[in-house]
Amino acid sequence: MRSIPPKRAFRRTAVLLAVVFAAACPDAGALTADAGFIDGQVMAKAQAAKVSVAPRSDDGEFQRRLWLDLMGTIPDANEARRFLQDTAPDKRRALVERLMADPRFPIRMAEAFHVQLMERAGDDEQWLAYLTASMQANKPWDVLVREILSPDFNDEQKRPAGYFMTRRLEKIGSQETDYPGLTRDVGRMFMGLDLQCCQCHNHLTVKDYKQVDFNGLFLVFQNLKLNEPGGDHKTKWLSEGMVEAKFEFTSVLTGAKGATGPRVPLGAEIEIPALSESERWVVPPDKKTRNAGVPRFSPLRTLSEKLTSRENPYFARNIVNRLWWQFMGRGLVEPLDLNHAANPASHPELMAALAATMGEREFDLRWLVKEIVLSETYQRSGRRSDGDAEAADDLYALAMERQVSAEQFLKAFLTATGEYARVVDGKGWEEMGEPRQDFKKVRASFLRAFANAAKEPELRASPSLRGALFLRNNTTVLWALQPRKGNLVERLSALQSPDALAEEAYLSIFSRLPTEEERRDVQAILNPTADRGKTISQLVWAMTASMEFFTNH
Amino acid sequence: MLCNPSEHAVSRRRFLGTALGATMAGGLGGLFSARAAEAMKASDRQVLFVWLDGGISQFESWDPKPNSLYGGPFRAIPTSVPGTHISELMPQCARQMHRLCLLRSLCTKDQDHSSGVARIQRGDPKNRGVPYPFFGSSVANLLGPMESRLPPYVVIKEGTGGFRAEDAGFLGPAYGSLAFGDGKPPEDLLRNAALTEADDEERNALRDLFNRRYAAQRRPALTQASTFAYDTARELMRRQDIFDTSRLSERDLDRYGRTEIGTHMLIARNMLTAGVRFVKVASFGWDSHGDNFNAHASLVPKFDRAFASILEDLAASGLLERTLVIAMSEFGRTPRINGHAGRDHWPDSWSLAMAGCGIRAGAVVGATDANGVEIKDAKHDIGAVFHTWFKALGIDSEERQYKHKGQPLPLAHEDMAPIKEALA
Repeated sequence: MRSIPPKRAFRRTAVLLAVVFAAACPDAGALTADAGFIDGQVMAKAQAAKVSVAPRSDDGEFQRRLWLDLMGTIPDANEARRFLQDTAPDKRRALVERLMADPRFPIRMAEAFHVQLMERAGDDEQWLAYLTASMQANKPWDVLVREILSPDFNDEQKRPAGYFMTRRLEKIGSQETDYPGLTRDVGRMFMGLDLQCCQCHNHLTVKDYKQVDFNGLFLVFQNLKLNEPGGDHKTKWLSEGMVEAKFEFTSVLTGAKGATGPRVPLGAEIEIPALSESERWVVPPDKKTRNAGVPRFSPLRTLSEKLTSRENPYFARNIVNRLWWQFMGRGLVEPLDLNHAANPASHPELMAALAATMGEREFDLRWLVKEIVLSETYQRSGRRSDGDAEAADDLYALAMERQVSAEQFLKAFLTATGEYARVVDGKGWEEMGEPRQDFKKVRASFLRAFANAAKEPELRASPSLRGALFLRNNTTVLWALQPRKGNLVERLSALQSPDALAEEAYLSIFSRLPTEEERRDVQAILNPTADRGKTISQLVWAMTASMEFFTNH
Repeated sequence: MLCNPSEHAVSRRRFLGTALGATMAGGLGGLFSARAAEAMKASDRQVLFVWLDGGISQFESWDPKPNSLYGGPFRAIPTSVPGTHISELMPQCARQMHRLCLLRSLCTKDQDHSSGVARIQRGDPKNRGVPYPFFGSSVANLLGPMESRLPPYVVIKEGTGGFRAEDAGFLGPAYGSLAFGDGKPPEDLLRNAALTEADDEERNALRDLFNRRYAAQRRPALTQASTFAYDTARELMRRQDIFDTSRLSERDLDRYGRTEIGTHMLIARNMLTAGVRFVKVASFGWDSHGDNFNAHASLVPKFDRAFASILEDLAASGLLERTLVIAMSEFGRTPRINGHAGRDHWPDSWSLAMAGCGIRAGAVVGATDANGVEIKDAKHDIGAVFHTWFKALGIDSEERQYKHKGQPLPLAHEDMAPIKEALA
């Protein structure tokens, strides 16, 4: 059996472990009721490894992390100050709930899924709008994936979902249509299986991955044809050919022959129905109108239903793993697309329980996001003390430094420097007497500087020469550091006391208050006062170009 | 407030020893061990890689066959190595022949540009299901950046520039190339006009302060990687002279030729001198399916002048002793002259030229028959050539391996070996 049976004893274990956990971590407080199971599992493994976990993040650390994750930007200084001053005991839960109700949350989720699913291979406004609308409606993940894998090009609302496939089937340069690439990505993105090697032979190191698995999927996707817009179709669209026979393949290593019908990888083959001549077509082909026809049997539709069903354990595990990675910086299974029996999750029971509950809750993405961000594991501090031993990442003893995506960096930079409203919303230019910054161009330049190359998954923070040159020399970056009505440099210049200036700068940029040492730093930096305005501008540059700003930590 | 330069040096070494150490130098971690000393000694090696895109004709360059069936109209001339003749289109290179090593027995597998360009530059290893790095990315990975802290892999080409991750294959974007299109730097590379160098240094020192505070409570690797990126940026900005064409000397321009390849070769010389590990100069337009002879009569002398001049300069400055120099294409051109007086793609028997560190100067390896169709003795595929280059750079490609996601991968085709006759 290849399937991984979900743990049914989830609830009872959860209660039990919540008790254990509450005893181990007395200050976890009100959060254990929701997130006890996650924390119990993570703590149990850390304790078994005799590793002590870092304390809870402080409020500044927490709010920056949460804002970047849920809003796609950082809080402005007022927001940040208000949260730090809030004395309500359940203020973190309240913040989580407030941010998840904010219209920026679905936009952030859409951006995150866009980056994961497209891997910078293309950008499309309608596709992003589709993802955003789906996240606004909290569309169940299985419904969303069915819309992506079996797109309805006649439905105005759902049509853009097809971009995932149409973009991958476009010819780029001299490269032929990449059917194997699409096949591989479907396995990776929606089941966490990288079957690339299995196009030509059984996987050499992964026993579970067989040549039949790739080719059962490949049969479905190589049967698609990309069509240009025209007629009823306003965008590129896909048509499906007739599949009447199994797909035959030969191993390049052993010469063994095989054949398969459409197939959910590591699952069952889909039977190709025997249809009579009159049943074969919904719309018969017509040579005169060059209509290729619509076959009755749609391997794509059947596959998209089976792949996304609760019977397919890899589907639920994959979305749990990818969301977990998104918020934790590490998948329960690593690499994200190498799920198989011999590569178990770091916390197998946690994975099984989350995947099972995800299915029971009809693939409710918001539920899982909330479970994760309310957990103590998510809220762990990322700060090490000198004496701390190095603990393995899969113990989650310390919050990881994660990538701030190009999109997050752009918004965070504009929020910190106080230029968000002007640049993004186009407000307040009339009185400025200077040319507007064109947001589309600004966005494109930040993406060029910080996004990975196409098809390079963005899995971790990676400082680059390109990014460094951009922050050092780009005109928009330097423009934002000039004093201008209401922006950070102007606000700081108006503050005479170095202490007040340090507070405002740290709150605006790092979402926290400065330490005593850092207050003294700022005082020393400002002290010579050769050119106070220039020094303040340099200070803001140095903070926004620093690692504390560059990572989500 | 200004930072102490020695701190950078230490953190960079630590960075090399941790984040990238495993792949970069196979154990540079123990900096003071004998093995590390060996690695450091090898690490002053540099590469000049001249890429003649489209395919230079071996008949009209390194392997002329005058008065033969397919020889074409040009004569062969004697060189500084008695007995060795090359095309009359290369009089300057003829005078540098004692520094060059010709390989006239190349036999490769691909006659398409679209696949061949990458296949040759990746060394055409056995298919492992992962894209292999271009030679420049390999060298950047295996030898790392130099003490200069300039980017390790720079391309000077016609057309557009920028950061090109795809060269790096499975090594990842960090080992991609930095391309100077038309010899000009990519966007944001020049120091912004609104900034003085002193201001830039001041604010970067502040950035270092913030990073020190941050890194004190974190694992150091990521902050070190960032420091390294910012240092490289600073060095590039500081060394604007090396790619500023307005500063090239008139005398040098006269010698190298006031042509694209001449200017680009001159910039390449300056980059090598400044401490760029691997410089690739790409010249386009060599695909002479029609009018091959006029095309080569125009192109080859431009290459000849630029290439001979850089050899002369690298030799004069002593750099040639530790710089591997290569000039080649993705394939040669057919012996048969087609109906448009052109030559087509020909991977079966063609030539390349090498010089510099580890290479046997003045040697000619292999030979083709009288008509330039068949290779007489041993044929050499690009995999053997890669082993030869690695050997010349002090990298044992028969022992050392890449590690990619736990999978050991050979540096070059494992069924092939270095060409001993080409090595010093």
